[in-house]
Amino acid sequence: MSEAMHAHVEAATGHGVHHDEHNGHGHHHQSFVSKYVFSMDHKTIGKQFLITGIVWAIIGGLFSVLFRLQLGYPGQTFPILETFFGHWAEGGIIKPEFYYALVTMHGTVLVFFVLTAGLSGTFANFLIPLQIGARDMASPFINMLSYWFFFLASVVMLASMFVQTGPASGGWTMYPPLSALGQANDGSKIGADLWLISMALFIVSSLLGGLNYISTILNMRTKGMSMTRLPLTIWALFFTAVLGVLSFPVLLSGAVLLLFDRNLGTSFFLSDIVVNGEILPNEGGSAILYQHLFWFLGHPEVYIILLPAMGMVSEIMSVNSRKPIFGYMAMLGSLFAIAILAFLVWAHHMFVTGLNPFLGSVFVLLTLLIAVPSAIKVFNWLTTLWRGNIRFTPGMLFAIGFVSLFISGGLTGIFLGNSTIDIHLHDTMFVVAHFHIVMGVASMFGMFAGIYHWFPKMFGRYLNTTLAYLHFWVTLIGAYLIFWPMHYQGLAGIPRRYLDKSGWHSFNQFGDLDKMITVVSVVVFAVQLMFVFNFFYSIFKGRKVTSTNPWGATTLEWTTPINPGHGNWEGEIPEVHRWAYDYAKDGRDFIPQTEPIGNNESAH
Amino acid sequence: MEHQAISSEITFEHHTDDATFRKKVVRTTILLTVITIIELILGVGIYLIHKGPDPNAMLVLFFKGLVCILTLAKAYYIVSVFMHLGDEIRNMIMTIVVPLLLFIWFIIAFIVDGNSYKNLRNTYDKHFQETTTPKPHHGAEKAPVAEPQPGKQ
Amino acid sequence: MATTATAQQTKWWSGGKSPFNMEYGKLMMWYFLMSDAFTFGAFLISYGTIRFSQNFWPDPNVVFNAVPGLGHNDLPLVFVSIMTFILIISSVTMVLAVHAGHKGDKQGVIKWLAWTIVGGIAFLSCQAWEWHHLITGVHPTLIDGKIEFIGQTTTHNPWGQLVDGAALTEALNNSSQHTLATLVHEHHANMSHADLMGKSKEELIGMLNIAEMHIREKGPVAFGGYFYGITGFHGFHVFSGVIINIVMLIMAQKNVFQQRGHYLMIEKAGLYWHFVDLVWVFVFLCFYLI
Repeated sequence: MSEAMHAHVEAATGHGVHHDEHNGHGHHHQSFVSKYVFSMDHKTIGKQFLITGIVWAIIGGLFSVLFRLQLGYPGQTFPILETFFGHWAEGGIIKPEFYYALVTMHGTVLVFFVLTAGLSGTFANFLIPLQIGARDMASPFINMLSYWFFFLASVVMLASMFVQTGPASGGWTMYPPLSALGQANDGSKIGADLWLISMALFIVSSLLGGLNYISTILNMRTKGMSMTRLPLTIWALFFTAVLGVLSFPVLLSGAVLLLFDRNLGTSFFLSDIVVNGEILPNEGGSAILYQHLFWFLGHPEVYIILLPAMGMVSEIMSVNSRKPIFGYMAMLGSLFAIAILAFLVWAHHMFVTGLNPFLGSVFVLLTLLIAVPSAIKVFNWLTTLWRGNIRFTPGMLFAIGFVSLFISGGLTGIFLGNSTIDIHLHDTMFVVAHFHIVMGVASMFGMFAGIYHWFPKMFGRYLNTTLAYLHFWVTLIGAYLIFWPMHYQGLAGIPRRYLDKSGWHSFNQFGDLDKMITVVSVVVFAVQLMFVFNFFYSIFKGRKVTSTNPWGATTLEWTTPINPGHGNWEGEIPEVHRWAYDYAKDGRDFIPQTEPIGNNESAH
Repeated sequence: MEHQAISSEITFEHHTDDATFRKKVVRTTILLTVITIIELILGVGIYLIHKGPDPNAMLVLFFKGLVCILTLAKAYYIVSVFMHLGDEIRNMIMTIVVPLLLFIWFIIAFIVDGNSYKNLRNTYDKHFQETTTPKPHHGAEKAPVAEPQPGKQ
Repeated sequence: MATTATAQQTKWWSGGKSPFNMEYGKLMMWYFLMSDAFTFGAFLISYGTIRFSQNFWPDPNVVFNAVPGLGHNDLPLVFVSIMTFILIISSVTMVLAVHAGHKGDKQGVIKWLAWTIVGGIAFLSCQAWEWHHLITGVHPTLIDGKIEFIGQTTTHNPWGQLVDGAALTEALNNSSQHTLATLVHEHHANMSHADLMGKSKEELIGMLNIAEMHIREKGPVAFGGYFYGITGFHGFHVFSGVIINIVMLIMAQKNVFQQRGHYLMIEKAGLYWHFVDLVWVFVFLCFYLI
């Protein structure tokens, strides 16, 4: 950036909208460190979240490939594993401890580090100021802290994978007593402490981020940007942040209590335990209490993962159908309903733990209510597509894929939400299939849609479209090939988390199916690596964006320069005069939000 | 400097004159003190009932309920007057109060399940029931008991 | 208020301004406190859950009945009410500091902040004494058929049910010489411990008035864990509040706010401090009153 231009942006940054008040001197000479490392620019922080998320996704995905090898080919030796993992895979066979460490870390990494930080961290940071018309977040400094706390959490979690006794391996939910007692398994030694510390840091990060997102969306909207003119992405990210701010602290409490149980001899979650003939002194705690605390976060967490994807899909679908989103207010209402219900249904994860059955039936009712707003959203997406002038860009394909997966996975949620059916289905592969489709893969699709759609805004270049189409089709077909058969396995009673079920006669019929799933997951993982290549290659060598508004979208981020500097707009922040979805109106393809309402314009 | 705009986010600033302010603070302080004293009296009352020869469980429960309500009243005054939430505009008050409603279900579900866990153990873990259930003479602390109690370890 | 008319005409949600007429920092502080309320809420609700899952729970009036300097007198609730008043008064001084800030009165801010800090430190000192008293003050407790002396820690709880006559006599017979001597010493302070150690166990038991003894079984261990965990977490908040207030005091002293033109930081620190008071109201309720 030239000196003159830089000064210009500085002037604009200081103008009108406050910057961090406590930091009046501005950012005159940005060194490499202050521009790319300890950056306070929301766009850079968003990219930092994204790239850290991608690194974690590769690690977490690789873990799933490793344990799929065990599930598909139990007993077979893969000498290469021993080369890389040493005593964890002696003789090329994955040890049980290693297997459990892999599944635990796969869950933790994907749920928290990829789909929470990587997804809402990336897009909340990147899109909120751009789409509401703000120079930056309310507090850029706290925003920077949010990323670095996440980074710290990442370092601790990564470190836990290299300690002698291995990382936490009691499942990503860390239920005590398994996770509370070092005697129980190797992963519950230092690995579990590191897991808890890492999560505490992660919670701080998500809290700092969430507070910033909420106050930015409320306070920093540009003139004319009323709440009902906001793009649905912003609404979704807003509810995501609210969910995080209210539910993560409960996990923090649970984690602190668990740390005490582990290290101070307290009995919050432990009672009546005998290890190797020795009676432990812990008495009077309740292991179910931990599950309550965990799922009070855990269930909203599902929506923390899903809502940003829903918001981005709504936006991308409308842009690429060249039609207004169908039922904007219904979309808002259903987001709100989902956000509230998310807090009321946590115990449906605990139907078979000894939860009071009557209480369980109340949770069944509340759980099934979620079907209503979810169905509203699905119908609105489908009606947005209906008779649209659809452009099948990669982003759009992933958005449509999201809806497909959300329907497929959502339907099985109705099975699992009934406590009676859950008695048969809990802890089987059916559950694995359900949540991977509806929240795992679906949210990944939302994330991919977002990346393909906003990549031009992030880096001023396009991703390679051929690779993108290949990425989409292989991932979509692969996801269904991997997870669809798991429903049948689950209905037949195959438990999840078992590393070798060849001892059961009745499960032997699924041997070939498991091999198929494993082969497909290797292929899908390879295609994700191809996407990562496409991502980094295109940052530097991709086709350049030549117009400020390549998709013909109405929202504010496309009124900024192709490579916006810190402060986003060079002159005044534009004023907003209309909602974000004026597509195909009065014979015009689209009308930007910044255009004043004309005299003889039709009302929508 | 008094009327300098703090930031463009602010539309108008609050102004309270000294006299009303002082009156309000003094009144609230006295209120909080009085409520606390009533709570203490109730607390001592509960203690005396427990200590007495024939504790009335319903009365204790009633006292405890009263204390809870008084605590909520205290919380209301602290938030509304000391934290000035009462002076904010209505929408702001709502964004604070409405999410707190989640506590209702949070508390009910947790407590009900805790209670249910106790009942489960009393039904299926006789040792737990026998060793932890308060004996009938609990509360009658002064009364010497000569005969051995059943279920005593 | 003269501004009411303006307030009604303002389109709060139309963008370009805060819909709550509140600067972002204060908004963030409010929502942070909301989040923190859920942390504390989760702790206290966990405590309630465990309490509801037990048949027996210690009576707080029996546990918290000591006041520094007043020895073994049974004074339930007295000390904790002193702590409560300290916190309420420090909240009042904080209100006054914030008010002084509104008026740009630097001396007022400094004066009232200083008093608030004094209140915070006083509260922390009280808490330190109470913890010390609970941990080191040992009580004769029936453990595995004999009497032992234990304090209230995260792993031990001496506040179980009272032990009755027959079981108590048996327990005394099983107890060690040292334990019995200590027990007798408590009631006959004129005899030294060493003298008592010279007597036989039968003699010592004979010196005890068994009907008057308040010896308890072990109580639920979770009691101590929650008490130290939650009051500790609250104490940590008080401590950080004191640190924040000290920083504010130094900044006010150095005219930082005067130069900035407003004392908003004091207001945010004030919100935090009142929240600490607010939490204490509930901790007080859950641990000491019910």
